[in-house]
Amino acid sequence: MYQVEASKALLKPSLWARHSSRLRVPRNVVMLGLVSLLTDVSSEMVATVLPLYLVFTLGASPLVFGAIDGTYRGAAALVQVASGFTSDRWRRHKEVAGLGYGLSAVGKVALVAAGNTIGGVGAIVAFDRVGKGIRTAPRDALISLSSAKDKLATSFGVHRAMDSVGAMLGPLVAFGILLVAPARFDAVFVVSTLFAVLGLAVLVLNVEGKPRRAPREGAPPKLRAAASLLKDRSFAPLLVAAAGLSIASVSDALIYVGLQRTIDFEPAVFPLLYVMTAISFMALAIPAGQLADRIGKVPVLLAGHALLFVVYAVLLLTSVGYLLLIVCLLALGGYFAATEGVMTALAGAILPEKLQASGIGILITVVSLGRLLSSVAFGALWFAIGLHSAVLIFGAALLLAMAVAAPLLLRAQRHPVHA
Amino acid sequence: MHSRNTKILAAFVVVCLVVGGGYVAIAALGPDQTTTDARPQAAKAVLAHSDLMVRAVDPSNPRLNGRVYEIDDGRVRQRSSDLACERVYYAAGHGICMAVAPSGVDYDATLFDSRLRPTGKIVLTGLPSRARVSADGRLGAMTVFVTGDSYLESPTEFSTRTTILDMRSGDQIGQLEQFKVTKDGHPFDAVDFNFWGVTFDPHDSNRFYATLGTGGVHYLVEGSVSGESMRVLRDGVECPSLSPDGTRIAYKSRLGGQPRWHLRVLDVATLKDHAVAEERSIDDQVEWLDDDTLVYSDGVDVYTVPADGSGASALLVRDATSPVRLALPGKN
Repeated sequence: MYQVEASKALLKPSLWARHSSRLRVPRNVVMLGLVSLLTDVSSEMVATVLPLYLVFTLGASPLVFGAIDGTYRGAAALVQVASGFTSDRWRRHKEVAGLGYGLSAVGKVALVAAGNTIGGVGAIVAFDRVGKGIRTAPRDALISLSSAKDKLATSFGVHRAMDSVGAMLGPLVAFGILLVAPARFDAVFVVSTLFAVLGLAVLVLNVEGKPRRAPREGAPPKLRAAASLLKDRSFAPLLVAAAGLSIASVSDALIYVGLQRTIDFEPAVFPLLYVMTAISFMALAIPAGQLADRIGKVPVLLAGHALLFVVYAVLLLTSVGYLLLIVCLLALGGYFAATEGVMTALAGAILPEKLQASGIGILITVVSLGRLLSSVAFGALWFAIGLHSAVLIFGAALLLAMAVAAPLLLRAQRHPVHA
Repeated sequence: MHSRNTKILAAFVVVCLVVGGGYVAIAALGPDQTTTDARPQAAKAVLAHSDLMVRAVDPSNPRLNGRVYEIDDGRVRQRSSDLACERVYYAAGHGICMAVAPSGVDYDATLFDSRLRPTGKIVLTGLPSRARVSADGRLGAMTVFVTGDSYLESPTEFSTRTTILDMRSGDQIGQLEQFKVTKDGHPFDAVDFNFWGVTFDPHDSNRFYATLGTGGVHYLVEGSVSGESMRVLRDGVECPSLSPDGTRIAYKSRLGGQPRWHLRVLDVATLKDHAVAEERSIDDQVEWLDDDTLVYSDGVDVYTVPADGSGASALLVRDATSPVRLALPGKN
């Protein structure tokens, strides 16, 4: 409906867009990107200062909070599937996503009002996680339904790039506030709340809830239809491929721990690792999406996972200079850029319009369960046979997962799901 | 419809800018809230064996850096007006003051001399947790909490990082995370290894004890700085602290899975341990006032308790944490 080509304000023309001088992305996608950007600024502001706030204001041992947080993570994963199906069933993706963004915003307000007990902060973090769980599937479905099928990966690339800009800006805004108003955490929480409310306002006012590919007629999907995706001849192989690839991929948190054990760098350098990876992700997300739309999503997905071999190789070395470390982090950012958004785009391309959010919700849940399994397995292997052997086994597993995933993904791409 | 919504949004942005900017501006003009003016009060003047260094704490606002004070014969003195910390430790002319920087989000450690004059500054990568200096003043150890600030993972998960310092140059000598660990003679390693709470052997600063946390178990490890290695001695020990004569280790012992601890004392030779008379939960790395007495903080005040399990705990200094024994000249 609103096929306005929004490009100039927020997005620099990318290197890959040589044919067309401008990056053509539906306005709705840019608006959803803006919502995520503002929400991420809000969340990351709080995440940056929360540890300090907890320890020095509430006198909590940080370990207490780690335990509080872990318990809510599982709940958020299950919420994804439910919110995905519900938004398909009601055909109200925008409203369900809005509920998720709203919960996070309410959590920030609560932090300003009542964040002076440990239980209160724990509940607010839980709120935030559940909000994130609720909004992800319908939001991704909206991105997908707003885009032409041959531009899906670009749209997801634009959204993910904007999202990561927000994640980078959040800590900077928080630092900036505390620089002029030392230790005034309340000021950080107030500004964070304003960003969250602003994000919600952009969603409500400027995001179209029924974009061009949104289903308008026919019966609303039944739960059985969503469940049958699990044994669909096209979607099930995609899920198997995604699960296999995520199980064989070591999580970035563990990669950083591994690098820290392997490389003898100054502790002060450590925060720069995240920044470098995030910049690489931010810069490569859009080109990777455009490339996927041009040459195919499956080759880009596989190439993205192949970048992990660079990271694994660095973990196996005994001595690593800064140059090699930078190459490793660029590869890690490239891996993120070429995988998560592209996989979601692939799902969006083969899922029927009326089951977009359900399918994406299932995919996200499968991937996050795969990641959990991966982390547990990597930790167990590290304990049993050491870091190097664990990395070697994961390298072999990744090769195997890629070999199995390639035909499954190609098959999924060729045969869209029949609804 | 479209342009009207954009106008509403623009108005919204302006309101947010005014409210947010105004709030931050008012906060910025308010008083500096990183350091407290609170002053410790000695509760009794019976520091016969040693003088004490403490960090002031403001009970109504414990987040603030506290100034460093020395206490002798019950009199509270402050030699420097600038040294303010979260954690302080000192031995033989060399001290560590771990603090939140004035920005309120960065952390640093100031090294200082016997007159509390700064001699160097080190950037920390996380929240100050523990600080120790070897009895000869040669080596220092600092533990910080670091957050998993990866943007894809949980920002609220913590791990610890412990570094060993050369106290003269301020250079980092080693990170415990990179030392080799053995248990029952075999290599021991896991992804969730965390180290904290170093205590140096008073007779050989190259030897130290520390806590290794992994899989919910807290091991006492004995290590060698020059050998970059540690071996597991037993479990159930956090924040060990060697007695001045080096024969016993005071530590905190976790009660079940809860973040609650009781203080206990362990004999180094036999690894046998006993409780002390403090009945409250204490989260501190204990200090020894002398070979018979433990001194520690509950976060607000400083207490003593006999090390042999007899007697009862007693208030020593109000509004103070981080007690450090100061050897009297000629009495070490």
